[in-house]
Amino acid sequence: MKKASFHFLRVGLAITFLWIGVLIFKNPEAWGGYLQPWAAGLLPIPLAQAMIGTAILDVAIGAFLLIDFLPWLAALVGAIHIIIVLTVSGITDITVRDIGLLVAALALTIDSLPQEVLNKIWFVKKQQTQWMGQSPEIK
Amino acid sequence: MTSFALLFTLSAIGVSETVYLIRKRIASEKPICPIGGGCVTVLTSKYSKVFLIPNDVLGLLSYIIISFIAAFLVIGVEPMFVWISALKILVAVASLMSIFLTYLQWRVIHAWCFWCLMSAFTIWLMGIIIIVNNLI
Repeated sequence: MKKASFHFLRVGLAITFLWIGVLIFKNPEAWGGYLQPWAAGLLPIPLAQAMIGTAILDVAIGAFLLIDFLPWLAALVGAIHIIIVLTVSGITDITVRDIGLLVAALALTIDSLPQEVLNKIWFVKKQQTQWMGQSPEIK
Repeated sequence: MTSFALLFTLSAIGVSETVYLIRKRIASEKPICPIGGGCVTVLTSKYSKVFLIPNDVLGLLSYIIISFIAAFLVIGVEPMFVWISALKILVAVASLMSIFLTYLQWRVIHAWCFWCLMSAFTIWLMGIIIIVNNLI
């Protein structure tokens, strides 16, 4: 991804997470209403407390993305968070928006992954390629 | 609510911009200067600090405070009139400061800094939003 477009996406997504966090803080019970009954039943703590926790997570993700601190980790946690939101809220009229946010978070994660993490991900594949290239008789 | 959302968005943009400038300054690197070429001239001039505090740090603090106040106003943290007054005073002071710094770029330093202008326009836009919101 081009550098400028990456930062546009990063700041845009950061503002989205921050603002959603603020809105959840404003009215946690109302936001808890989006949870499916089966998901709300699984909560070990009151719904309002769980939503406050969600708000804190949203603000933390947004802040990390905004100041460009560990953006790959913030975007990854954000993507996982959105997957959980999609799972527990079910298919609604606004699901498509969450899918857009999910893909944006995944794009940021992929683009900002540090080289050490990339090496770990591709390590097995790289080794297999070397192994196949160096000792053809084993193939 | 809409005006607070806009103020929050603008302050968040300001935070990301000032953090970028602070990082570049600490790393002793030149910031990207998309329009014009006077960023380094302006950012390294003697006017880049106010009472030994770099302008980017002052800007960051201002934007963080504005974003917190906007969030408090949306959430409904009392006392609301204190937050509204603080927001108006802070944006007014920052707007005047931005006018002065823009004047310095124009008449004294004779160089234009993209990031400084962007920050100035961000603050002025906040001021316009507050004024328009009061009028309506």
